[in-house]
Amino acid sequence: MTTATRKRKPADDSEAVFDQELEDLPQELRWREWMGRIEAVLFASASPVSREDLARVVGQGASVEMLIEDIQTELAGRPYELAQVAGGWMFRTKTQFADAIKAAADLGDPSLAFTEMEMRVLCAIAYHQPIDRAGLKDIFGKDVSRDLLARLRYKDLIASGPRSPRPGAPHTFVTTETFLVTFDLQSLRDLPELTSDTAACSGDTSE
Amino acid sequence: MTYQPATISDDLSKLPHLPRWVTSGRLQTLETVAFRSGVALTVLDQLVSDPRYGVPVKLLANRLALSAATATSKLEGRMARGADIRDAWYLTPPGEARGPDGDLLALWRETVRLRLNGPGEIADLVGAEFADEVGVWLDAGLEEARAHGPLSGCLAILRAVLDADDRAERVACLLSDIVMARTLNWKRVLPVTAQRLTKTVLRDLTAGGQGADLPAEVRILEAIEESVRVARDLTRRAEALRAVAPKLRAKGSDAAVELFLTEDAVAPASMLSPRVRGTSIPMSPRAARRFCDRLVELGVARELTGRPTFRLYGVTP
Repeated sequence: MTTATRKRKPADDSEAVFDQELEDLPQELRWREWMGRIEAVLFASASPVSREDLARVVGQGASVEMLIEDIQTELAGRPYELAQVAGGWMFRTKTQFADAIKAAADLGDPSLAFTEMEMRVLCAIAYHQPIDRAGLKDIFGKDVSRDLLARLRYKDLIASGPRSPRPGAPHTFVTTETFLVTFDLQSLRDLPELTSDTAACSGDTSE
Repeated sequence: MTYQPATISDDLSKLPHLPRWVTSGRLQTLETVAFRSGVALTVLDQLVSDPRYGVPVKLLANRLALSAATATSKLEGRMARGADIRDAWYLTPPGEARGPDGDLLALWRETVRLRLNGPGEIADLVGAEFADEVGVWLDAGLEEARAHGPLSGCLAILRAVLDADDRAERVACLLSDIVMARTLNWKRVLPVTAQRLTKTVLRDLTAGGQGADLPAEVRILEAIEESVRVARDLTRRAEALRAVAPKLRAKGSDAAVELFLTEDAVAPASMLSPRVRGTSIPMSPRAARRFCDRLVELGVARELTGRPTFRLYGVTP
């Protein structure tokens, strides 16, 4: 079959010949194929995919945003959606089905369950980043355990940031993209304003 | 051995400047602001476009990028200080996360490195959310600038972006700077717009009403005048550094001087050693420290942080 031979050839020099433009397809089909590709890429990825990455699987002139809008329209009635988070897009189940998912699947020890102290430390880092352990000690009045920080890091909610200009050059902590996704924030600006109610969460620096 | 400290010349007479009869008028109406901005932009344009004046344009652009980062941090309510933003950027090891402040400075530094004829680059810079509209906004802004002058173009695009998303201050200011640069036919973007803008001015601008234009134009005019002052000041400091350069005999000092003429802050430990950034010229950590100390001794550079360690040096005031 001709298609089979055609397919095998490009496989030799692998991705170099990936066809972005699909010029041999009529416009309608081309658009559908592009939609399919974007959906497939997003489906296969556990983390948000940036616009630049998506642009690589569709034609030069194609608008990623319009393709995504079309996909979103098709997904209107589905229990999952294409959400824009942290500068990219990802598939997400709609929140109204959270209980159903919990009831059906034994999620084991949910990796995102936090102790109160973890939540407080995460909060302090979110508002005061970049902040090092000494800075956290100033906020909480006691040392924050390395284990706790390691757990937050293991969950990919915090990462190492700039070095702190103190002896020993300890690294500071900053929040990650996963942090934004987990708490459904577009950017750090979506963090609630620090009022006297929420100040308790950051440990309330007295200065 | 004693060194004769270099004198930074105060003779700025050969550089274009803002005439007193332009800056002295304090009555602010749309007409006077339009007039003054015309003069100010012409002076700034001469400074950055004519190589004869020896203005260190890359240095100027990087310095303005830091100011713009500080200004946009304030506009976005994060209120990071310039020194903290600079630290976040300079003290992040390669490959680690820079955090919000470092990322903001990185955005502005990428802006001044932008190739102006690459629309794709601009779209990547402003992010997915706005990538689609950028072209339309820029065209409309440039059209407005052609019809009513650069400041009107800047205002038009500020308004357009903030109408679409009132929290996109950094994108609005960045695109406004692109409109200014394109209108004046500059090779690179100078981050001018954000410097003096305030939340109130921007809020009034999007709320509509003719009265909102004047305060915004005045703020941008002030920023242009400030940029002229910074450009003249940096030129004189760069000249002083060039004058002492032949006295510096450390290995690699030419490349290191070049770095000081393009970067507003230099971290000896990471940017001069083990190799002078951008070159393959090796320099030991000790040589790098001594080189920076020597520049300070000669009076052509300053330590910027006031810290005993993790120091940053620059010719900037």
